[in-house]
Order: sequence, then C-alpha cells, then structure tokens
Amino acid sequence: MDKKRLLLAEDDELLASLLNYRLEKSGYQVSLSNNGKEVKDHLAKEMPDLIISDIMMPYFSGLELIDFVRNELKSKTPIIIISSAGNEENVLNAFNLGANDFISKPVSPAELIVRVERELAKNQ
Amino acid sequence: MESMLNEYSFEELTSEEGSHLKKTFNAFKKCLDHMIFKPAIPVNLENYAVVSNQAVPSTGPMGNKTTTNSTMLIAKVSHEIRTPLNGIIGFTDLLREDCLSKRQLSKINAIQSASNSLMEIINELLDYSKLSSGLGSFENNNFHFQNVVNDVVYLCDTLITRKEVKLKTKIDPNIPKVLLGDPSKLSQVLINLLGNSIKFVEKGEISLNIKIKKRDRNSIYLEFMIKDTGIGISENNLKHIFDPFKQADQDTFVNYGGSGLGLSIVKQIIERSKGQITVSSALGVGTTFKFLLPYEIGKDKDMVKKEESTFSLDEGIKQVKNMGILVFEDNSLNQKLIETRLKSWGCKTFITDDPYTGIAILENHVIDIVLMDLRMPKMSGFEVTDLIRQNDNQNIKQVPVIALTADFTAQNREQCEAHGLNDFILKPYSPEELLSKLINNSVSGSTSKLVCGDSPKIDLTSLLDDCMGEYELLENLISLFKQNAIEFIGACCIHLKNKDYEGIGFASHKIKSGLAMLKTNSLLSIVEKMHDLGKNGTGLDELEKRYTAFIIEYSIIEKALDIEMEKLGNIK
Repeated sequence: MDKKRLLLAEDDELLASLLNYRLEKSGYQVSLSNNGKEVKDHLAKEMPDLIISDIMMPYFSGLELIDFVRNELKSKTPIIIISSAGNEENVLNAFNLGANDFISKPVSPAELIVRVERELAKNQ
Repeated sequence: MESMLNEYSFEELTSEEGSHLKKTFNAFKKCLDHMIFKPAIPVNLENYAVVSNQAVPSTGPMGNKTTTNSTMLIAKVSHEIRTPLNGIIGFTDLLREDCLSKRQLSKINAIQSASNSLMEIINELLDYSKLSSGLGSFENNNFHFQNVVNDVVYLCDTLITRKEVKLKTKIDPNIPKVLLGDPSKLSQVLINLLGNSIKFVEKGEISLNIKIKKRDRNSIYLEFMIKDTGIGISENNLKHIFDPFKQADQDTFVNYGGSGLGLSIVKQIIERSKGQITVSSALGVGTTFKFLLPYEIGKDKDMVKKEESTFSLDEGIKQVKNMGILVFEDNSLNQKLIETRLKSWGCKTFITDDPYTGIAILENHVIDIVLMDLRMPKMSGFEVTDLIRQNDNQNIKQVPVIALTADFTAQNREQCEAHGLNDFILKPYSPEELLSKLINNSVSGSTSKLVCGDSPKIDLTSLLDDCMGEYELLENLISLFKQNAIEFIGACCIHLKNKDYEGIGFASHKIKSGLAMLKTNSLLSIVEKMHDLGKNGTGLDELEKRYTAFIIEYSIIEKALDIEMEKLGNIK
C-alpha cells in the first residue's frame, strides 16, 4: 500500500520538525511548508490525502487555506487545524468554513496522529 | 510660620483634599498649641490623628509630676507632631496633582516648603533629644564602608546647586571593605558636616578625606577630615559651635535656616561611638572638621550575599523612566537618598512613612512598584504590605512590593513570602541593584521572585517522550529553539527601533508555540504580552520593558535548558 501523503503547514520550525518526525515514523509521507503562499502553490499542483495547518500563518491564514481548498479547488480533503489556546472564535470559523478537526497548542504528537488516522479512516 | 500658614485661604481649595488638608492643619495647630502651652496635661492624641485614622500609641504617663526629663518630653512630642505633619505633606503632594490655578499652586508650594522645613527641624529635635536622653540606640552591624560613604557623597553632590563648588573625596584604599558598627549614624554625621559645608561655601572646594589612624588585628581607628573654603567661623563663635540651638548669630539663621542642632547631634553621635571631634576655622578662609571613629573590622562572610547584578545603568534608566514608585521609608536620610536617585532617573516618586498616606497615594496615582522599608515606627513593612494586599482595588492589591532591609535572614524571607512581598533589596545598595530590581519586578507583575527559589527548572522529559526517546531529535529541537530565540531578540530589536508594532506582533507569535512546547512559562507570558501590545499597536515603553525582561529571562532559561539536556544525556 502506498504511503498516505500529508501536507503540514506550520510556520513554527520547532513544532514542524517534531511533528514531521513523528508523522514520518508513523508511516506517512509528509510535505512541509511554512507559509501560506507555498501551500497554495503546492495544493494547486497536487492534492495530498490530508492537510494539517496552523490557523495563524504568514501571508495566508489557515482560514483562507480552508476556503481556498473547499471553494476554489472544490476538494473534500480532510483538514485538521492547529490553533493557539484561547482562539476559540477562529476554531468556530474554521469549522464553519469546512475544517474537519482541530487540535490546540501545545500539540501532543501522539494525539495528532490519532486524529489523522481517524480522519483518514472516515474517508476510505 | 504660623502666621504664614494662617494667611492661606484654604477656602479657595475646593477639592476633597483641600478640606482634608485644612482639617489636618487645624488639628496639627491644636496639637502644637497643646504641646506648647499645656505640656503637663496628657494630650488625647486620637482627636488629632485625623489623617491616619489609626490609634496613636499611648504617650504614657508623661503628664506625671515625676516626668521632669524635658528631653524625654521633646522626644515624645516631636514624634507625635510628625504624624499630622506627615498628613499635611502627603495631602499637599496629592493636591498638587489636581488642576490648580497658578495662584493656588504657589500657595501649595509655600505650604509644602514650610511643612518640609518644619519636618526637618522636628526630625533633628527628635534625634537630638533621643541622643541626649540616652534613648537613641546604636546598631552594631556589618556594613560595606565604601558603599555607605559613596551614598552620602552622591547625595551631597546633588545638594550642590552652585556650579563653582566642587566636592572631592579621598578614601584610603586600605580601609577594610566590611566594618562593624552603625552605618546610618555614620551617614548622619557625614551628611550633617558635608551639608553644612555646602550651605556655607559659595565658591571653591569641599573635601572629604578618610584615613586609617590606627589599626589592630580586630579594630581600626578612622580619621575623617571635612575641609571647606566657606565663610568660616570666628574664634568666639567657634567655642559654642557644638552647643545645642546655637548658631553663629541671628544672621546665620535668617540666611541659612536650620535648627542649630545639627552639630550638637554630630558631636553626640561621635562621642557615644567613643570617638572625638575637633574643629578649626578662620573667617573668610574656611572651616575644617576632623573626627576619629573606632570600628571593629567586620567579616565579609557575615554579610548576607547580594545577588550579582550585571546591568548597564544607562540602558536600565531608560526603562524606569516615568515609572510610578512609592517608597515607605522613615529614615530621613534614606528618604532623601532614594528620592534623589529615583527622581534623577525620571521616576515619579512618592515617599512616606505613614501607612494611610501611602494607601491614599496608591489610590490616587499609578504606582508601578512599592519599595518597603521593613522597620518603621508606626507599622512594620509587613503590616503595611498586608494592608496593600487586602485592598479592594485589584491594581493596588497586586502592585509589586520590594522589601528594603539592612539585615535579611532566612526567616525574613519566609515572612516576606507569607505577607506577599515580591522581592528584597539589601541596604546599602548600589544604584545598579536598585535599578535591576525595579525592572525585574515591574515586568513580571506580582509573580514572586522569592517563591521560585534559585534557578528555574526546565523539564524536558515529556518532550523527550514526544520525540519517542530520540535524544538527537530533542537536541535538534533545542538548538532550533535557541536559534529562534536569538532571531526573535534580533528581530524585536530592529522592530522596536522602527516602532514596527506589526513586526513585533508577528515575531512574538512565531516564537510562542516553541515556548509552549518547552513549557518555559516565564518567557511565554512575556511574549504573550508583547504579542498583545504589538497587535494593539500601542505601548512602546511597555514593549521595551518586556523585551529587556525577555533577554534577562532567556539567559537564565538557556542555562537551565543546558543543565536539563546534560541530565537527560547522561541518563541515555
């Protein structure tokens, strides 16, 4: 079976490299991106099996990203949002725009992996 | 002075403080009348203590026929006069902040300068009577000799208003660093003598020269010489110079003011310390005071360890500018010293030794930090801090309070914690120490420096678990974190220079999740504040303060990280 492809859009290098390591260890193929512009280009070229994105990112917010995927690319690819604590309003907006799940910072890698597995299982 | 004060029409002052001031002043006058005309009848002081709302300690059986000791009486009376007088000074200070007309302001200024000089006279009277009745107690503490002298010289330098007057000091470098004795009495003597010289020198030089006269294994005799090129004293007047209430002549009082007690106080202190003082003078040439004081040589290790401060004074001063600082301090020398220092840094400074005046100041002004002398006559610093912590107003309740104390023991530390004091400064302290304490405590709010102990601990075990036990990955993350922190510091420096709020907001957002990952909560709370300020686009001063706090805190955290990494590395 081919490895599932994930896109991880996270501008914090620390968190990104920890999550990248854990996700790869769990058998996923991960593309990393740290800004919204790059994410947009990447998605236009190739749609991964699942997107993990921070809400707050330079140039292009996580919310815009959801909107772009759902409304412009018309894709139903599952999206998991990473939000900072105390950003409840943004989480609501994210769900309204079509996010599938969210996890808040500080992110536990183990929990993220469970959420990723669950979303991918739903889509099969 | 009474006639001067009677001329003021308090009716012009419409505010609440105005009427309070009037009430206080009248009570004070009544009190004075009572003291002057019927000193044999015990005064019911509670009627007079309108300002303090606090029961004044009973004056004891001073009305008894047996009480003939007039100096005892003076000591008591002067002490009681200070309470309402403090109220007058405190409320006059508050009034000044109201919108007053020019005419009212000049009257307030006159009340204030009259009250201040009255306070000075009363303080001297109190000192003198305490000394001559044998009431005044002498401390016997280890103290840093050079620090005490430097403080006095610093203070005296600020008293010199004429450009043509120079103050020079020469201190024998062989004098031991730590001596055993009473540092506050030493500064009192030096300030009195140097202050005198400053008063009487119009042009020329004042010099302070301290030498070792004799030295044994355990003790030392120091010779102090204070020489000026002032107006000088005639031979006839020189004979009476140390007598109480004697000034050279009536003109001296008219021209220079003062109680005429300063030199008698100096002489009393020196003689009670088993020293000697002599004076020589020539009219028109100048005056030289010479005195000898014995000290035991102190032990450095007996001194409570001070925290080393590596602080740039210039950088720090920018950060405390405009900070509101309330000082509770009863020693008038220390009051002056700290006031001059804080004002020279541009702080808004309020000083009082009365708990209720202090609370009133807290209620009427923005106070960022309270400095609290622990030993005060009416109420201890601990009790005053309790009052502050019990206040209904959240802002007042949470104001950082730093203890000022000459001797600090482990027990004091526990007490400080129990009473909600945030930190402490050991007297005598250098300007750098004071500054770094002010900055450290103003930025971190009321989180106590005392509770967290020596160094912060960082726990990376759960992060190592997240890395599935891969030490190399953890190492990578930590080095990434350090890199990010350095980048953050650099970026903020540039953004602050450019007043780029958005840039600061962005930079602080970027580093936030890394800080959360490492559970460095102290840094996280600083950065969160910076993030908010950056987002709101206001508070450049505040941002700069937090930025400095971040740098200071980061250096501590970085060390803690290294320690934790080494520990985890060893386990592996």
